[in-house]
Amino acid sequence: MCKIDFLGTGVCASGARRGYVSFYPEGRMDLYAALAKGRVPVTEECVEIAQSCDLCGKCDYQCCFVTGLRPTRVMEALKSHVARHLAAGKPVAHADADPFLQSIRMIVGDEWATNDRAIAVTYSHAPSPLAVPALPRYVILPGTRQEISSLLKLLGSAGIPWVVRGNGTNLMGFELCEGAVIDLNRMKEIEFDEKNWSVRVGPGVAAFELQREAAQRGYRVNVAEPAALVCGTMMCAGIVSLFSTAYGSCADNYIDAEFVRTDGSFFSLNEKNAPNLFAFDRAGAVSPGVCSSLRVKLHPMTGDESGALVPFDSLEKAIDFSRDCAMRRIGLAIGILGPEYLSSFMSPTQRTAAEVKDALARKLGIVCMVLVLGDRYAMASLKEMGHPMIGQDLFRVLGLGLPSLGTADWLEFIAGLPEEEPFGYLRGGGFADLVEAALCPSASRLVRDFDPDLRPVYEEVYSRPDLTDLVWLNMFRITSSRIGREKQFLPFLMYLPLDHALIDDLCTGLGSIALRYALKNDFGFITPVDGGKRCVLEYDYFFDQNDGDEIDRIRQAAAEAGAAIDRFSARTGTIRWVKYIFQQGYCRKENLLYA
Amino acid sequence: MGQRDERVFALTGATGFLGSHLMDALIRKDRSLVILGRRREGVSLADRVAALLAWFDVRDRGAFVETAEVDLLEPRLGLERHRYDALCGKVSEIIHCASDTRFSERSRREATETNVHALPGIIRMAKDSGARCFHYVSTAYVSGSGPAREAPIVSRMFPNVYEETKAEAERQVAALCSLQATPFTIVRPSIVYGDSVTGRSNRFNALYYHVRALGLIRDIYLNDISHHGGRKSREIGIHLEPDGILHLPLRIFLARRGHVNLIPVDYFVAVMMSVLESPRSGHIYHITSDAPRTTEELAAYCERFLGIRGIETVYGEGPNGSVQNPPEEIFNKLVRPYLPYLSDTRSFDRTNTKSLAAGLSAPDLTYDVFERCMSYAVRVDWGNGNGRRDGGVSRASGQRESEEEETENGSVNRS
Repeated sequence: MCKIDFLGTGVCASGARRGYVSFYPEGRMDLYAALAKGRVPVTEECVEIAQSCDLCGKCDYQCCFVTGLRPTRVMEALKSHVARHLAAGKPVAHADADPFLQSIRMIVGDEWATNDRAIAVTYSHAPSPLAVPALPRYVILPGTRQEISSLLKLLGSAGIPWVVRGNGTNLMGFELCEGAVIDLNRMKEIEFDEKNWSVRVGPGVAAFELQREAAQRGYRVNVAEPAALVCGTMMCAGIVSLFSTAYGSCADNYIDAEFVRTDGSFFSLNEKNAPNLFAFDRAGAVSPGVCSSLRVKLHPMTGDESGALVPFDSLEKAIDFSRDCAMRRIGLAIGILGPEYLSSFMSPTQRTAAEVKDALARKLGIVCMVLVLGDRYAMASLKEMGHPMIGQDLFRVLGLGLPSLGTADWLEFIAGLPEEEPFGYLRGGGFADLVEAALCPSASRLVRDFDPDLRPVYEEVYSRPDLTDLVWLNMFRITSSRIGREKQFLPFLMYLPLDHALIDDLCTGLGSIALRYALKNDFGFITPVDGGKRCVLEYDYFFDQNDGDEIDRIRQAAAEAGAAIDRFSARTGTIRWVKYIFQQGYCRKENLLYA
Repeated sequence: MGQRDERVFALTGATGFLGSHLMDALIRKDRSLVILGRRREGVSLADRVAALLAWFDVRDRGAFVETAEVDLLEPRLGLERHRYDALCGKVSEIIHCASDTRFSERSRREATETNVHALPGIIRMAKDSGARCFHYVSTAYVSGSGPAREAPIVSRMFPNVYEETKAEAERQVAALCSLQATPFTIVRPSIVYGDSVTGRSNRFNALYYHVRALGLIRDIYLNDISHHGGRKSREIGIHLEPDGILHLPLRIFLARRGHVNLIPVDYFVAVMMSVLESPRSGHIYHITSDAPRTTEELAAYCERFLGIRGIETVYGEGPNGSVQNPPEEIFNKLVRPYLPYLSDTRSFDRTNTKSLAAGLSAPDLTYDVFERCMSYAVRVDWGNGNGRRDGGVSRASGQRESEEEETENGSVNRS
């Protein structure tokens, strides 16, 4: 997350200059851990990595905002470690002489390929419990598709395995390899073609970066979580967001894509003789190569967009409602969100998240909420549908008043209002006004849980209307990573019919497996797709990535859960687990869902 | 030394408000009890009863108290034959207190199950045990509009599901008991609050719920004034007066002038004990107050107790388009289901009750009694467990409250 300026407060300058993840805070933290465990010596690059950090503290703002962590402490430790090492006159390891590396550097330039272990080690593991750590021999940062082509030819001729990676957000651990890791971080071209409602993006462009550029021009793109690379996510999962309700998924999202085949040759999907990546094979598929650019569709935005959260006391009712909205084409984005998701996203700290979850689930009896975004006509239709809801204004009050929500005695009193209709108290303006009086919402109070030195910046950040704007938050999703703040999570993502009985069966099955292995688990979200005929469901398992026992348990649980999903898929014929979409995300949505 | 009463009472609803107080009174009279209650996840009926006995401080009195987890909707109460027969062999009288007191239409299924469908099973037990009498705890409000006689129900129109199902239950009690020749009584308490002498209560619904709601609204605006500059308060004319009282303009809209019939739980228990002592089959007993309070009087009590000023009762057709301030809007939503009870004009006939319990009349709900009861509620944090720990106390709440066998609603502590 520290590679992208989500908050507008700046990111690590050395990372932007050198490109390797090792020069960003997340890489430095990995490096320090490796040094502490004796996995790597102090190398030349290690010294540069440590010394290039000027302890500016920008990483604390970005990281603490979503994870609660303060990387600067680790940066200080890394710098001290290296400084002590040098002061003691201990040796600095030189990277091994490697003729093959010279060949690689002939392609990308000396600066953009290395076999230094201090850099390699930061590409050697992933947070996924399913990932098998692997120390790559080479880390390469190509700058053009021609360089990718030459690299693939060279690596292929030498029989060296390779993977491409972006920001390392793959939760399945597919970005690891003992051969060469090709990091696409340098390839960040974004070229708008507004006449043709499209934007061409390089493979190093992250979702947030693209959305920011598009929004500045008055457009929206359908992208995944903000740190995920657009091309990579398309390849892995076809891109899913709550906007998939209106904008679709898979091939709905793009106009054309260019690839470099594993033999180094090129093709684009709009060529008559291109491989048929629009097809979908339920058994899975091999990689078609490296996507070197993608022409993404631009969608218009209107100035009257807003959002609302509709609470429900049962998942079944929420599913019925969201299906109704999707069938009637009401709203641009629809998502059923569980209390874990909602509370994590909304809350600046984990402590607040726990209180908010308790308030929503236990005190107010909210099983889930349906988020609907849309223009004023969609919002008017939503009101006409007659459900009590939390509109944008009340959401802003709640968002900035969260610190008082957890301790609010009046919540139970409100929840106990003897109304014929669940959450009927949300009707009328009185509730919103009373809540505002009770919560005294303010950015300055919201940030009190943070360390004093972070508060001024966060107060400024939270004072921006964006941070409490349902539309903006769901376009940019900068708080979505908070779902892993307490514990790392392993999502099970699948397409399936928007059918309560089936979803309930699946969630019950996955939940019981997790419980058997004593793992925290929860329903994540559901988004209707294709007019409500199908949906995307995410169910999450949580684990402590620093707890070996818990990692063992989640591996076993994940295997059982996978087998259970496969059984459901075989029985129903209508479930598509994202595991099998990997490498096929460019397919036609209809081939994926119905073929 | 009096001779020990050999009767064994089967009691349902013993973990609810009225039932628990009856249980306490019977134990203090050395009566033997079989407590019939539902199974519940996590905590057994025996444990729930034990917590209540501790709260009443009667755990060590040595009375015979047996618990039996049953399902009143099942044949033989869901018990195996030998267990059911053994229970019937012990029981000589039955008090049916269990009730679902929720008002809302969306609770119809549960209310009907608990209040009506559960009756045949427990009445059948009266037959199978050869019970001397079946006592049914109803509500004074089943009597419909007009003069309320201690007589079978005539009315078919009721303002909510609770009254409707209790009325149907009374009809079934009379019919089924008559059919199987089991003597029966029906007692009809009005709205019950805590103990008028000690102020104690183990439920904080009904009157308490409204007082607590006003207290919470007061606290919201006091906090706004004290810590956040009072902008929201000023917008709607809320301010601290020089004497430290919070001026909180809040109109309560009622259709007409009337009164609220409230009785303390000690009075309910006293009358019930008289009924149990000398029951007359087929008789109906109103346990009500001859001195009901007006809403204005109760509002004045609330103002004094909470340190607020500005509550006004407005009679007529409601707000009539006038803009309500947020506290008014929320409070009137809270009050809406209970409007029939706040402007009641009925007078309750108490002929049978007076003949049975001569000299017993409901203590007046004076401010002292009100203050005593509410102070106790505050001390135990309205049953939230945040104040002094007090086993067996349940929190104050409204619709979602579903407490024990006597399923309590927000407003009416009654069976």
